[in-house]
Order: sequence, then structure tokens, then C-alpha cells
Amino acid sequence: MIPWFTYSRPNSLKDAVKQLSVPGTRLHAGGTDLLGCLRDGVVAADKLVSISHLAELRGITRTGNGSVRIGALTTLTEIAEHPYIMEHYAALSEGASSAASPQLRNQGTIGGNISQRPRCWYFRGDFHCLRKGGEACYAVAGENQFHCIVGGQSCFIVHPSDTAPALIALEARVRITGPQGTRTLPLESFFVGPQKDFTRENVLDAGDILTEILLPAPAANHRSSYRKVRARGAWDFALAGVALSVRFSNGIVQLARIVLSGVAPVPWRVREAEKIVTGKEIDDETASQAAAACVKDAVPLAKNEYKLHLVRGVVEEALLAMKQA
Amino acid sequence: MEKEKIDAAQESSPGITRRGFLQTVGIGTLEIAVVGAVAPAVQAETRQRGNLVPLTLKVNGQRHELHVEPRWTLLYVLREKLELTGTKPGCDRGECGACTVLIDDRPRYSCLTLALEADGHEITTVEGLMHGEQLGPVQEAFVQEDGFQCGFCTPGQVVAAEGLLRHTANPDIGEIRTGMSGNLCRCGAYGHIFKAVQRAAILRK
Amino acid sequence: MRTDSVNYMGESPPETQGQAGTLTPWEETTVVGKPLPRVDAYERVSGSAVYTQDIVLPGMLYGAILRCPHAHAKVKHVDTGKAAKMPGVHGIITDSTPGANIPWYHGAKGAMSRLFDPHCRHEGEEVAAVAAESPHQAWDAAKAITVEYERLPFVTDIEDAMNSGAPPVHEGGNRDGDSSVYQRGDTAKGFAEADVVLEETYRTSFEIHTPMETHASVAQWDGNRLTVWDSTQGVFAVQSSLAESLGLPLSSVRVACHYMGGGFGSKLDLSKHTVIAALLARMAARPVKVTLTREESFLCVGNRPANIIKLKAGVKKDGTLTALELTNLGSGGAYPASSSVGYLVRDLYLCPNVHVDETNVFINAGTARAMRAPGFPQCAWALEQTMDALAEKIGVDPVEFRVNIIPTVSQVRNNMPFTSTGLKRCLLEGAKAFRWKEARERPRQDGPIRRGVGVAAGMWGWEGETVSTAIVKLFADGSVNLNIGASDIGTGTKTVMAMVVAEELGVPLEKIQIEYADTGTTSYAPGSGGSQTVVANAPAVRKGAVEVRNQLLELAADELKRPVGELVLKDGAIQTTAEPIKKVPISDLQILQRRQMIVGVGYRDRGPEGKVALPFVAQFAEVEVNIRTGETKVVRFLAAHDSGRALNSLTFENQVFGGIAMGIGFATTEQRILDSRQTGKMVNANWHDYKIPTAMDVPVDQTCISIDPHDKECNNTGAKGLGEPATIPAAAAIANAVYHATGVRLKQAPITPMQMLSLLAQQQEGGNR
Ligand SMILES: Cc1cc2nc3c(=O)[nH]c(=O)nc-3n(C[C@H](O)[C@H](O)[C@H](O)COP(=O)(O)OP(=O)(O)OC[C@H]3O[C@@H](n4cnc5c(N)ncnc54)[C@H](O)[C@@H]3O)c2cc1C
Ligand code: FES
Ligand code: FES
Repeated sequence: MIPWFTYSRPNSLKDAVKQLSVPGTRLHAGGTDLLGCLRDGVVAADKLVSISHLAELRGITRTGNGSVRIGALTTLTEIAEHPYIMEHYAALSEGASSAASPQLRNQGTIGGNISQRPRCWYFRGDFHCLRKGGEACYAVAGENQFHCIVGGQSCFIVHPSDTAPALIALEARVRITGPQGTRTLPLESFFVGPQKDFTRENVLDAGDILTEILLPAPAANHRSSYRKVRARGAWDFALAGVALSVRFSNGIVQLARIVLSGVAPVPWRVREAEKIVTGKEIDDETASQAAAACVKDAVPLAKNEYKLHLVRGVVEEALLAMKQA
Repeated sequence: MEKEKIDAAQESSPGITRRGFLQTVGIGTLEIAVVGAVAPAVQAETRQRGNLVPLTLKVNGQRHELHVEPRWTLLYVLREKLELTGTKPGCDRGECGACTVLIDDRPRYSCLTLALEADGHEITTVEGLMHGEQLGPVQEAFVQEDGFQCGFCTPGQVVAAEGLLRHTANPDIGEIRTGMSGNLCRCGAYGHIFKAVQRAAILRK
Repeated sequence: MRTDSVNYMGESPPETQGQAGTLTPWEETTVVGKPLPRVDAYERVSGSAVYTQDIVLPGMLYGAILRCPHAHAKVKHVDTGKAAKMPGVHGIITDSTPGANIPWYHGAKGAMSRLFDPHCRHEGEEVAAVAAESPHQAWDAAKAITVEYERLPFVTDIEDAMNSGAPPVHEGGNRDGDSSVYQRGDTAKGFAEADVVLEETYRTSFEIHTPMETHASVAQWDGNRLTVWDSTQGVFAVQSSLAESLGLPLSSVRVACHYMGGGFGSKLDLSKHTVIAALLARMAARPVKVTLTREESFLCVGNRPANIIKLKAGVKKDGTLTALELTNLGSGGAYPASSSVGYLVRDLYLCPNVHVDETNVFINAGTARAMRAPGFPQCAWALEQTMDALAEKIGVDPVEFRVNIIPTVSQVRNNMPFTSTGLKRCLLEGAKAFRWKEARERPRQDGPIRRGVGVAAGMWGWEGETVSTAIVKLFADGSVNLNIGASDIGTGTKTVMAMVVAEELGVPLEKIQIEYADTGTTSYAPGSGGSQTVVANAPAVRKGAVEVRNQLLELAADELKRPVGELVLKDGAIQTTAEPIKKVPISDLQILQRRQMIVGVGYRDRGPEGKVALPFVAQFAEVEVNIRTGETKVVRFLAAHDSGRALNSLTFENQVFGGIAMGIGFATTEQRILDSRQTGKMVNANWHDYKIPTAMDVPVDQTCISIDPHDKECNNTGAKGLGEPATIPAAAAIANAVYHATGVRLKQAPITPMQMLSLLAQQQEGGNR
């Protein structure tokens, strides 16, 4: 059962920011992640501020120059089914459609998906772990088969979002409005790893509202994809996954972005792998080299060494599929 | 641009029972896609702890005036306050689908929806698919194909199928599986559920 | 609770002397066997079916149970002061509440704890309970109870628990009694005679039943009489245990279960929450509903034990088995509960020399309960993979290999003959329909996606309890009321029982009303589980219907002044078979109009004399393994079942598909995970981290074949059980298919991408790809 809270649903962004600046308040978008966290006692809230009536945060719009703005309240379904996104930002539509379940995609918002809390079972469960203010990360010596193989320190979560890696691969920027005004930053710098601060996953501070996501205009000869591997056929987070965004010229890779899911506390961009494929054709060898580079720095925990094989396998598969596409 | 978009959003949102989910409106050089029904604006109000707050819900075409705790989910209110016990609780945490209802024609989990978030929307439960004492076509299809065993997941499956078919009238088997992938059936009646959805697509016409 | 309702390993209880049964199975049927929709389908799809969780009584309160959060702890102090003052709270009970100190029994071992035992031997043991006006208030109050625990060292790993220094779950150590040993012939001699001997250790994981409707009970007192609506598979088992717990005569405890949302064995026995509901209701003098949360359902209402199974098998080049030796170490959790698996090794295949040695060990985790074919899928996992490996070693096709070692007698029952065995036909006809040969001989591909097919066989080993009574009442207008004690847990019990009545009395299904599963109003039936529901009830129902018919014909003979032998009941009318031909609708019979009702009582027939009736199965799976990512997809499945006569081919098929789905869960995703090295707590007590199959995990291409051996002896319907066999070999068939696809033997269930990738990597290092 969810503990008591009060509820408010402001009609303006300004009012929402103001209300959310008060300690003890939490932002409610679609609520699919937040209500679960409240129910399990992962977070506490005196008051929920629902932004669901801020119409300006909703919808997908295309500007004259072809770039796209996605309001933070746009649902995953709306993104997954949007013809323009499907055509030009396939990685995003694939990421959105591979997340959770149809019902959750009908309700869960893109802003919420990027800002959702980790799915580590110690964090979600009845364990007083480091990220919740406890003494230690239980994953270190515990059941760590789903935890990170790279980027962990003190805490070993993986970032749960399937859309975030795709958006980073697609060079998305996010706009945030808070008590101090509005700022725009690359999504890549939105996420915060445990080295920096193990109590948070992103830069959002009290009163901050992520309002929109901006995607650059699609380039010619550009392709993108998101491939996710999970233990169950649906309704399951990634064991590992890879978002690719590649610009080709006559079959040669001009520019590549390779971002992994399920391996690190933040969506994990692998610049070295990107370098390997850039300037070359994708073939068995480049794919395999790039795949190997993806796990070069990985240090598995006791129970997740399989992720080394998995990441290599899925990156290889995705790169070769992109070549064939 | 910002302003125009908002206007377009409001214009295209009569509020409820709107099937056309995605609308694309061209304005000059801008192409604007407006998605989702926007509920009528309500007065912003801060609600105090300890008090019940008023709420109007429209369920199966009927308006209900209620007072609720902010933490009450739509599932709880449907079952315990409106006595619509067709909608089932299987997990209360978005992991089974037994609580599936339609909100503006789209399947959603009522266990992860605050009742307060549902105002201004059209809610359809399994009871709302009946025509008096007569089964609706999706329900009839589930009967004919034996698309269930214990039946506890069934209202959720039926409503999810209804939602799928409202959106995709002639789904192929891949679309059926994906569309039904948010509803667990521990009895494992999936094989018959697939057939029931196929038959439902025919019966609905 | 005191009786082990599914003592599938033991002998059947003695046959009661019912009516002398001379009915033999129908030669031809008009209703039975047809693919008919269920008689209660309307309620289930319309939302009008009232399940236990849906019940609301006037003045009803809601209960919530506070549970121990530790794997092993002693409750030192419980403070309910704050909770008692919270809004809406009407009662709190703990171990110190008068009347709550109720002993709790565990099978033959007797009482090993009590309702709120301060010694909590696993996470989720009951510590206190609250009744309040709303579920929210009840939970708020439960959370406000403060408990002081003394945490104790714990052990949750099966092998660790066997170590001499392991923390004891009970005084006297962690072994649950001596190992149980079965022996026939001389295995040493058998292995010496073998051309090939294989030995391997297989491991399975703890599974949790998680029926869609969590356990729930509603308790209401009227003075000293208690009525409980319970989501249960067996109202009579709950009634007797509950009466015993509360010290009441059976007549003061009424237990009813109408619509119920699945059980799979977890709802055969009385659970603590039911007693708690009754105590809270008595304390508050208001009806109380206790509904377990999904999370609770993972901790305290049973599981399928994990097993470590060492299996050694010897075979001659000609395909005869010479010896089988199985050693099983399993755990039924913190209290005595069977983790035995040995049956299939002893009885499925002809083998003169068999040795089985099974040890059950206590750990600090929830107690096991029978889960769909308890022990059998685990054993099939080991045995059927071993059979596959043996066939490969001696160069025989796995179907052919099995076909040649099928017994016609039950070797564990001193070679008592089976009434029928369709296993050979299951294998052969199944293989043909599956296009086995063709798929098997497809060359192994080299690409990243590998396809393979596998087969596994099985049988169920328990005939069921043989006691049940059915009452059939014929109304004056020719319609019928059928009264049976069995729960319909989703298997279509009501439907097939009505079909049996319809077959005998010629009444359409719409004119049959069914009253069931209520100790206050229905006749006795054993729990619906262990594939005994049809076998135990349908013969009694048939007898009851025949009784009605006989009485009706006799009355009609009087009235029509014709000999009984010249009268038949057809299409709702009495018809004469000799001239002058006459046809009198039942409702026109004067005598029936005066009496208004004819009642027929049917007792379950004797079990077959000197024979044993058991169902058999062969299942075929096709899988696709992505060797880059370790993903395994089941793409095709065929099940060939000898369950005797299929009483309703539609619900029969559904049941089989359901068993396959559960087998897919066993094979690929389901596993309870405990934080064994730190806290002993379950980390995946929810339906997201404990993964049961979704619509994407079961193949679209599924086929069910019913092999009917026309068994004349099993009982008067010709039907054998189905629920258990449907899931027994499914996982093993998948494992064999994965081996065929990749050359990797999956010793451990489930086959997750994690395991698959590690094994594929080892295979590659070994260079034997
Ligand atoms: C059973 C289950 C399975 C799932 N499986 C997957 C999966 O496979 N892949 C995947 O990617 N996701 C998965 N999800 C997560 C799901 O996609 C997210 O819950 C959803 O996208 C969150 O959106 P929401 O609008 O409901 O967020 P909310 O629950 O409303 O919010 C989530 C968090 O983000 C904050 N937040 C939300 N919006 C904003 C904003 N605009 N500005 C600032 N902060 C904000 C909230 O305060 C809250 O902390 C799963 C969820 C569940 C329950
Ligand atoms: S009850 Fe809502 S998804 Fe399970
Ligand atoms: S019919 Fe029982 S869970 Fe689906």
C-alpha cells in the first residue's frame, strides 16, 4: 500500500516549479515508476505534484529545419508509433517500443523513462542500501547477475532506461526548467554516475522539470537502431542492449555513436568502438573489433561475467544488421 | 511556435472518447503533431493531508462523484468504491495486467494510475464492454475459443484485446502477441487467447 | 495441515465401499468429448464472477499481516500501542493474544511451530495482524507496529545447510530425518553389464506457484459458527484443518470457494492467513477479509523445491537399460515438506536395477507445497536429458530408444499392470505429427541462430484419492441441479461434470445448475489437484446421473404400466422401445409433478482391481538459440497425451497448453533468488524479477494430440488425469532441443541467457563447437 501524501496538479510550469522546490515534494508524470517506488518505500513523499496537465509538455513537433522536439510528457507509445520518429530516429522508436509493456508505454512518459529510478533489486527491495542512505551496496557481494560491468564504484546499478541510450546515440539534448530558469544540455551530460554521487542518477535538482527533448534534424544516409537482450520475451529490462547511430557515405561509416544499455550506471557511450568503425566499412572484422572494444574496460562482478560475452554478441549482431539494412 | 502548438492541442481535444489519437496539423511551414487527449483544465489546488478530496470519474459512460484519498489508485476506487469488481488486482505494481482498463481507448494499468489522475478521462472496464446482460464481441470470442482457465486474468485480457482492436482492427499474429504482452496468464492460456483475439477481430466487425 | 493432502508418493488410501459399480466407459458419446465452451464462461469473461477477493460483506474489515523481514530471527518484543490507536483499527493479534497461541502442524512431524511463532525460521513468517476499516488503514497500522528482533545466523543454500557447522534451522540439525531409499535389483551388477554408463549432476531452481489470484480468505462468525470463503483448491481440507485449529466441530466450520483464480498446488492446504482472518473476525465481531499481497505470495504459501540430482544410468548397445541410480538433495524449506523427485526413475522405463536415495534438508526459506506434479518436472529434467545422452551414445534416435523400453506394468507397485499405457503411441504419433525425423536430421547450422528439436516423455505417478460423492437432482421440468464438492480451479471441472450429466440424462448444458465446493451444502470431494479432479469426481457424477435415470424409468414404468426394460430416456422424454411406441416428456410424468424432484447419489467407483491407472505423455519442442546473445526461443511445441478419454477436447487442449507454458517458465526463466551470502532474503519477490512466461514466450505454433487408448478399466468414464502430465516433460524437451541446436547440455534450470552464454563460451574454449 502506498503511504499517505497530498496531491496537487498545477496548470502552469511556473507554478509546478515553485511547488516542486519545496522539500518533500515529488514530481508525478505518468506515475508508473514513482508509484512503485512509493509503494516499496524506496522514496518517500509528503506531496505529489502532478505535471500531467501541463499541455505544453506534451506532443511531438517538427520545426522548419527538420529538428524535432519531444515534450517530456509524450508517452512511450506515442513516440514508438510516430511515423516520423520511426522513419528518421529508428533507435528511439525501437527503444520506446521495447520498454516495459503496452499498458506501461501508454502511460509512461519519455521524461519519466529517462528519469526513472534504478531497478537494482536491493535498491527496490527491503534492503537499506547505499543509494538509499545505508552503509553498503549489497550487489558487491550479493546477487549481482544484473548489475554493471563498467562505471560502477561504491554502487553497481545499471541504468534501466531503454530510450536514453537511443537518445544519446541520436545526439539528443534536453531542456530543463527550474527555480533558476531554463537550461539546455546534451542528454549525455544529464546522467550522473556513482563516482560523482551515488545518491542520484541525473542532474535534476529540487524544482527542476525536464520539459523537452530536442533531436537534431535527420542527416542523409543516416541509420539507427536499438537492440535489447532480455531474459524474458517481453516486459523486461535489458540484460544488455546497444543503440547505434551511424552515418554512411558510399558504405563507409562517416560518423558513429554506440551507446550501451544494461552495463553501466548510466547509458554507456563507447567512443573507442565508435572510432574503430569510423572511416571503414562494417564487416565481420570491424564489427568484432568494435564489439571487443565495448567491453575492454569492463570488470565483471562475481555473477555477471556473461555480460562480457553478451555485449560483444549484441554489438556485433547490431553492427552487422545495420550494414545489411 | 510554442503558443501555436498549445492552441492546436486544445483545439484538437474535445476531451473524451476520442479515437483519433494522433493528429497532425500543418501550420505554415511548421508541421505540428499533437498527441494524446488533453483533459479539461482543472483548478489547481493543494490538497491537505487527512482530507478526502472530491473527484468526478466517468466510468463506462457514467459519472460518479466521489471523495478519495490522493493515494487511492483507480483500481482501488473501481473495486472498492464503485463496486466494479470485474477489474482484478493481480500484483498492484504494474507487473501482471489483471487490472487493465481503457483510458480514452488505450489499455492502462489501473493499479498504477492514481484515481485523481483519471478525472476528465473516459474509463472503460470489462463491465463496460457488456451490452446489458449480453456479452460484447471480444468477450464472446473469449468464450468461444476458451481463452482462459481460472479467469482471474481474463477481464484484463479482454480489455487489453478490446484496446488493441480499437487501435488495430486487423492485427496479425505478431501484433496480437505484442499487444497482449502486458497481460500475464499464469494458467498459460495464451494459445487460446491468441485465437480469441483473432476471432474477436472478426466478431467486432 | 495435519494430513499431507498430496501424498503422491505413498500408496492410495483404501477404496471405500461405494455402490457396486458395473458401469463401463461409453462406447459412443454425444456430448462428452466435444469441444464445448465452459458452462461458467459468461461469468468469467463478463466480470460478474465473484472470486474470494471480490467478496464484500456488510461491516467487513480488512486484515493485514506483519511478517518477519529476516531469514532467521527471534521476536523479542512486539509493541502494538501506536498501531492500536490508529484510525479505523479494530483489532490486533500477536502471539501473546489469548487464543492466538495455536499450534501449527507440518505433516507427520506434528506441531513444529505456532501461528505467530516468535522463532521465525524464514522471511515472511507471521508476527502480528491487524483488522481495520480499509486496507490502507490496516497496512498503515501494521507498519506502525514495532518489533524487536534478535537476528540469528541463517542458512538458505541447500548444500551449505548440510555442512556440519551450518546454523540449525531446527534443534537437531538440518536433515529432515533419514534419507529415503528405494532399491530394486542390484545396480552394481546392472552398471557392470552396461555398454555405456553416464553420470551427471542436474540442478533445478525453486519455483513459486504465483496463481493470478493471490490467496485470500473472508471469515464471518455467527456466534460459534464460522463461515470462511477461501480461495482454495479443497474446501474440505481447509474445513478440517481449520476446525482442528480452532477446536470446533466440523459442523461449525463452513468453507466455500466459488470462482477461484488458480492454485497449482499452493491452495490445497490451510494457510495461516485463513486462521488469522478467523481470529481477527472473532476479536472484532465483524467479518474480516485477508488478501495476500503479491509479494507475500512469494514468501509464505509454498514453492517447488530446488533439487540437486545426481543421476547415473547404464545402457546396453541394444538399447536396454541396465541400471539407474539417483541421488537427490533437495529442500522443502524451513519446515518438513517433501522435496522428493525419484518417481520417474523408478517407473517410467523398464529397468531391472534401480537405486534412489533422497535427502531433504531444512533451510531458512519458505516451506514447499505441492506444485503441479511435485518432483516430476525436476526428475524429468535429469532423467530425460540423460535418456537423450544415452541414445546419442549408442547411436539411436531418442524417440526410438524410448519406444523400446516402455513398461506395461508399474515397477514400483510390484509390477502391477497399468490399465492402459499409450506412451508408445504418444511417442510415435507425436513424432509423426511433429515431423520429428525431418527436423532432427536437418544439418546443424553454423550461423548465429541455431535451431534444434528435442523430445521428452513422462507419466504421472499418483492415482488420486478414490473417495467422492456427487448428488444429481432432477427438477420437475426436466432440468438438473448437480452438486459436487470439488473446486473448479480453472481446469473446467464444472463443465466436464455437467457434460457427463448431459450425456446420461440428455439435458442440455444450459439446463444444468451446478453447486460446488461448499462444505455446508455440497457432498465430499478431495482437493482439486494432483490430476485427480476428473478421475475422482466424474465417475461419481456419472453414477449419480445414472441413479436418477434409473429411478425415473422405474417411476415411469409404474405410471405408464410398461416394463422398465422397455423404457429409455431420450431428449428429455421417456420413450418406449416396444410397440405401442410412446413418448412422454419428463415434465408430463404425474409422479414427478407430485414429487417435484428425483435425487440420485453417486459414489466414486472402486479403483481398478489389481491394476493401476496413470496418464502418459510425450512432448516435442523446437527451439532457436542465438549463440551471440544466449537467447533461447521456443518456436514450436507438440504434446501427445494419453490421459484416457478427453472429456472436453477444448478445455483438454487448453490445459495442455497451460502445462507447456509452465514448463517453458521452468526451462527458461523461473527461479527464486535468495541473497544467500548476506541476508538470506528473497531479492525477486515480485512478478517483474521473478519472471513467468508472457505472450511473447510461448510459441504460436502449439499442437495438442489426445491419444485415447480406450481404457475400459481405469474408471467408468475412461478418463485419466491431465493437469500434471501436461507440464512434466516440457522443460526437459526444451533442454534436449537446446542440446540438439547447440551441442550444449543444460544441467541447470532455468536456461537463462546468462547460463547459455557461459556454457557457449566454455564450449568454444573447449574447441568442440
Ligand atoms: C513493470 C515495469 C517494467 C518496466 N520495464 C521497462 C523497460 O523494460 N525499459 C524501460 O526503459 N523502462 C521500463 N519501465 C519503466 C517505465 O518505462 C517508466 O516507469 C516510465 O517510462 C516512467 O514514466 P512516468 O511518466 O510514468 O514516470 P513517473 O513515474 O511519473 O516518474 C518517474 C521518475 O521521474 C521523475 N520525472 C518524471 N518526469 C519528469 C520530468 N518531466 N522532469 C523531472 N523529473 C521527472 C519523477 O519524479 C520520478 O522520480 C518499466 C516499468 C515497470 C513498472
Ligand atoms: S494489478 Fe495492475 S498490473 Fe497487476
Ligand atoms: S486464466 Fe488463470 S491466469 Fe489467466
